[in-house]
Amino acid sequence: MDLLIKNGYVYDPLNNINGDVMDIGVRQGKIVDPSEIDQRKARVIDAKNMVVMPGGIDIHSHIAGPKVSTGRLIKPEDHYLSNIPGKLPYRRAQTGVAVPNVFKIGYCYAEMGYTTVAEAASPPLKARHTHEEMDAIPIIDKMTYILVDSNWIGLDYAEKGDVEVLAAYYAWILDSTKGYALKLVDPGSDVAWLYGKMCLDIDDYIPGYSLRPRDLIEMVGKASEYLNLPHQIHVHCNRLGYPGNYITTLETMKLAQKFAVGDEPSLHITHVQFTGYKGDNWSDLRSGGEDIAKSLNRNRYVTLDLGQVVPGFKALTMTADAPFEFVLYHLTRGKWSFADVEAETASGIVPYEYKKKNYVNTIQWVIGLEVLLLTEDLWRVYVTTDHPNAGPFTAYPKVFSWLLSNKAREEIIQEMNRRAVSLSALPAIDRELSLYDIAILTRASPAKTLGLDKFKGHLGIGAQADIAIYDLNPGEIDLSKEYKLIAEKLRRAKYTIKDGKIVVKDGEVIATTYGYTYYSKAEIAEDLMKKVVEGVKDKFKTYYSVTYDNFIIRENELRNPKAIRVKPIVGGG
Amino acid sequence: MKNIEVNKFKLYTGRDLTQGIAMERDGKFGEKYLDAVSYIEMNPIDIERLGISDRCRVEGKYGHIVLPVKASDSVQEGTVFIPMGPWANILVDPETESTGMPKLKGVDVLILPTEEEITSLKDILRRYGVKEFDIQPIDRPLKAGETCIVKDVVCTFCGELCDYLEISLEGERIKRVKGGCAISNAKLLNYHRHRILKPMIRSDDGKLREATLEEAIEKTIEILSKSKYPLLYGWSNTSTQATEIGIELAEVLGGVIDNTTVMCHGPTALAAQEVGTARATLGLVKHFVDVIIFWGSNAVHAHPNHFARWIIPEGKIVKGRKERKIIVIDVRKTATAKQADIFIQIEPEKDFELVTALRMLLKDIEIETDNVAGVSLDKLYELIEIMKTARYGAFFIGMGLTMTGAKFRTIQELIKLAHDLNEWTRFVMIPMRGHYNVTGSNEAMLWSSGYPYSIEFSRKFPRMIPGFTTTPDLLMHGEVDAALIIASDPVAHFPQKAIEHLSKIPVIVIDPKWSLTTTIADVIIPTTMMGIESEGTAYRMDGVAIRLRKIVEPPEGVPTDLEILKKILEGVMKERGLM
Repeated sequence: MDLLIKNGYVYDPLNNINGDVMDIGVRQGKIVDPSEIDQRKARVIDAKNMVVMPGGIDIHSHIAGPKVSTGRLIKPEDHYLSNIPGKLPYRRAQTGVAVPNVFKIGYCYAEMGYTTVAEAASPPLKARHTHEEMDAIPIIDKMTYILVDSNWIGLDYAEKGDVEVLAAYYAWILDSTKGYALKLVDPGSDVAWLYGKMCLDIDDYIPGYSLRPRDLIEMVGKASEYLNLPHQIHVHCNRLGYPGNYITTLETMKLAQKFAVGDEPSLHITHVQFTGYKGDNWSDLRSGGEDIAKSLNRNRYVTLDLGQVVPGFKALTMTADAPFEFVLYHLTRGKWSFADVEAETASGIVPYEYKKKNYVNTIQWVIGLEVLLLTEDLWRVYVTTDHPNAGPFTAYPKVFSWLLSNKAREEIIQEMNRRAVSLSALPAIDRELSLYDIAILTRASPAKTLGLDKFKGHLGIGAQADIAIYDLNPGEIDLSKEYKLIAEKLRRAKYTIKDGKIVVKDGEVIATTYGYTYYSKAEIAEDLMKKVVEGVKDKFKTYYSVTYDNFIIRENELRNPKAIRVKPIVGGG
Repeated sequence: MKNIEVNKFKLYTGRDLTQGIAMERDGKFGEKYLDAVSYIEMNPIDIERLGISDRCRVEGKYGHIVLPVKASDSVQEGTVFIPMGPWANILVDPETESTGMPKLKGVDVLILPTEEEITSLKDILRRYGVKEFDIQPIDRPLKAGETCIVKDVVCTFCGELCDYLEISLEGERIKRVKGGCAISNAKLLNYHRHRILKPMIRSDDGKLREATLEEAIEKTIEILSKSKYPLLYGWSNTSTQATEIGIELAEVLGGVIDNTTVMCHGPTALAAQEVGTARATLGLVKHFVDVIIFWGSNAVHAHPNHFARWIIPEGKIVKGRKERKIIVIDVRKTATAKQADIFIQIEPEKDFELVTALRMLLKDIEIETDNVAGVSLDKLYELIEIMKTARYGAFFIGMGLTMTGAKFRTIQELIKLAHDLNEWTRFVMIPMRGHYNVTGSNEAMLWSSGYPYSIEFSRKFPRMIPGFTTTPDLLMHGEVDAALIIASDPVAHFPQKAIEHLSKIPVIVIDPKWSLTTTIADVIIPTTMMGIESEGTAYRMDGVAIRLRKIVEPPEGVPTDLEILKKILEGVMKERGLM
C-alpha cells in the first residue's frame, strides 16, 4: 500500500532540507512525489509536529560473526536480566545487552529509527558465518567489512608492490566473501601475535615481511582507491589502547593524502577514542581529542568515528586486535577469549566495565566528545560506540543528548572523575548541535561515506523508503534544556518505515521483516583477474584449510544480496 | 556371595573406528554394527584373576548385561571398556550433577564371571517396551547415468568436515571416494542403503504402517500442539538452517530445543561460560603448532583424517610430523596413544588433579608429593617444560574429559592452563567435535538465543539452566511429554533411565536412515541425506562454516529437513492461531 507522511518537520541534509514542513510519498519501497499518491487509497501518517528523517545508518558496529557469537557464549550473564518475551507472530523473543541475540539487534536499531548497519570486521575465512548471522538479523540492511590487516596472501602481494595486482586480489576477496570494504585492524600486529609478539607501531616491521604497517596502509589505500570501492579503507590504528597512541593516529591520518583521489576522503579512522591517548602511562593519561580534531579539520582526506564511551556500561570488548585484548586481559584478570585464524587474522574478547568515577574511563569519555565538538566539518565524523566495545548501540540517543545540550554534559560531568575532567578541554566547550546536525551525523554523511547516498540517507525522489519519525516538536521543544525527553524520543521512534513498510509503531516493533545485504563487486580486467586467481589458487593449497572452491560464498547463500558494482579508476573492464 | 572389592571396576565407554564404519555401511541393525558395540574390553590380568571365560556379567546401578570379553593390554587393570551404544547405556550413570552431562566414563560397575546368555539388542529394546521389531530398511532407487567426477565434496561425518573429497558418480550411485577416511568411504558409498523412504505412523496395535507425508506431518503437528512441554532434540547432523527453524518452533511451542552438545562437549561450553576460550583454526595448527596434546581424545578412531590433515603435512613454519611433538594423556592406551611421542596413562578420573598440578608447576608452586594422578613429579616437570618451550602448542580435548570426573571444572582448569601458557608462548585448546555440524547448531542457537544448547521457552524468552533444561535431566525426571528427534539417535546413546521416559511419550523421528530411536517412534518422517541429496551450511569444529552441496537428486517424494520443519512450524502456528 502507498504511504503518505503528512506535514512533518523534515530533516534531510543531502537535499538541504532543514526542518521544512513537507509531505513524503512512498510507493513500492521508494520515495515518490507526494502528489502522485492518492490519499484515499494510501495509508496516511499524520506527522504534524513531528520530526521526519531518513533511516539512521551506523557505520561501525559489531553485530554478527564469530566473535559476537563467542561473546554470547562467554557472557551468559548478559542475558539473565534483559529478556523481553516474544510477541508472536510479530516479534521474536529478545535477550542480551552487550551481545544481544539477532532479534534484539534488529529490533532495537529499528526502534531508534536506524535502518542500515555495517558489521565492523569479519575474517574472510569466517565470512560465511558472519553472513548467516546477518541474515538472521531482522529489519535492517547490513554489510560487513573484511579484515585484510594481516592477510598472508595480501601481504605477499603488497610486498611485491604491484598495486593493480593487489587491488585485483582485494576485489576477488570482497566478491568471494561478499564483503563491502577493506578493514585494517592494528595493521600487521596479528602476524606478530602468532609468533607470540605484541602490538606493532606504525614504523615497526611486520615479522617475516619487508613491510611496515605504514607501507601496508598505503598499499591497501592505493588498492582501495584504485578499485573505486564505495567505502574508503577503514582503519583501526596501531597501538590502540596504549597511552601516547595519539601520535600514531596522527601519523596514520597523514597517510591519507598519499592515496587520495581528488578531494574525496580516502581513509577512515575508526573508534578514534581508543587511539586518542596522550601521556606516557595510565596514571598521567590525557585526552588527545583536541589534537586529533585539529588534524582532522586540516586534513580533508580523513573521516573518523568516535567509539564513544558510555559510562556505567558493562562492555564486552571484542576486536581483531588480538594482542591488545591480551593486554586488557592482564588489566582485568577475568574472562578472556581468543581465536587465531590461519592466513588472515586473530581476535580477542575481554569483558570490561566503564566506571564514572574512574580516571582513565573519564578521560576516554572525554576524548570522544572533544573530537566531535571540536570538529568543524560534521560531514567527516560519525557517532559510534564501537558496539559493544565502548558502549551499546542502544545508547546513541544518550550520546546525542550530550551533543545537543551543554546542560546534559554539565550534569553528567558532576558524576565523573573530577581530576580527569579538570585536566580536559571539554568543560570549556559550549557547542551545541542541532537536529539538522544530528541528521548529518547519523544519516546523510554515513550514507555518503559508504557510497550509498544515491538511494540511502535522504528522502529525495527515488530514494529507498527507509524513514524514521520521532514524536518531537522542534518548534516547541528546547533541545538544550529538555535533553532527557529528546533522548527518550530518539530511543523510541513514533514510526520506523523500512522499504516502505511500517515496522515500528509507537516505539515498538510490529513486524519482523528482513533487509538487504550489500557487498562490493569491482570489475577487473579479465586477464588480470585470471592471473590473480591462478596465484590465489596456488597459495590456497598451502595457506588454507579449505579448498578454493569451498571458500567462495555464492550469492544464493545470502537472503537478500545486493551488489554495489564499481569500476576501477584506471583500466578495468 | 560376591567378593565386592575384587569385582569393582571403572567402566569407560567410547567410540571406535569399526563402530563408525559398520554403522555407515550396514546400518544400526546390521550384525557388524551390533558386534562392534557389544563387547567388553578387559586387561588380561583381570580376566585371569576373576576366572572369566569368554563372557562376563556387568552390573551397574540400574541394570545388568552379559557381554563377550576381549582381552586387551590397552585398558588398565581395574578398568573396562565398552563401546558407546545400547549395551553401554544400561550401565552408565544418568546422574548429571546439574551439569546436564551424565557420567559415561569412570562409571562404577561390578564384573562377574558367568555362563548366562549374552544380552541381545532385542533384550535391551524390550526394556523400553519395544514389542514389534518392524524396521524395514531398503535401498533408495538409483538412477543409472553418465559417469562423472565431483570435486571439493564435503564429508558429513565428523567435525573435521573434510572438504576436498573427489567422488566418482555413475548416475546416482557413488562408485568411488578419493581422500576420505574409512568411515567417510563407508558413509558415502552406502548413502543409498538402509533408508527410510516412506513416512510411517505407529498404529494402536504397536505396528508401523506406511502413511502419506501429509498424514505424518499432520500427526506430528497434533502431537506437538497437544504437548504441554515438548522437546526438540538432535540438530547436529543437519544444516544450520534447520536448527534456526527448530528454534522458532521451540519458541512457538514454549518447549525445549537441545542439540547433542549436551552429551558431548556440553561441559566444554560451560567451561567457556566461566573463563573464556583459547582457540585457533585448524589450518593454523598445521602452520604453527609444534606441541600437540590429545587429552581424553582418541582422534585416530573418532576423527581419522586429523593426523593426515594437520599433523603430518608441512606448514608455513613447522615442517611436518618430525618437527611436532605429540603427547597423549588418556586412561586407555588408545590407537592415538600408539602414535604419540609421549603417552601418559592417567589414573581414572584424576584429570582435574593433573591439570591443576601443571598450572602449579608453571607458576613455580611446589608440589609436596611425588606422584599426581599416577604420573611422577619428574614426568610432570618434563611435560610442563615441553609446553612452556613450545613455539605454539595445542590441546585437543575429547569425551575423556567431558564425561568424567570434575566435568566442566576440569576443562575450565585446562583453558586456564592454556591462558597461563600464553604468558610463555602461544597455546590453544580446541575441542574435538563429533557430529559434523554440532558446532553450527551451537552457533545458530547462540545467535538466536544467546545460549549454545539446552534452551527452553516456557516463559516466552530463552533460558538455559544446566541440570534443568538439559535433555538427560528432562528425560530422567519425566519433564517433557513429547519429543521430536531429528538427525540424532538418543536410544543408541542415552542412559537407560532417560530412554525409559522417551519410550513412554509420543516421539517423532526425522531421519534418512533407520536409527534405534525409530523402534520407539510414533511417527517417522524420512528425509534427505544432507550434503549428498540436499544443501545447507555446516560448521567445522574450529568454527569455519562450509557450504554442503547437493550432489544427487533426492529419492522421489522424500523432502528435505527444511521442507519438513517449515511445514510443521506452519501447522503449529495455524493451530495456535498465529497465522
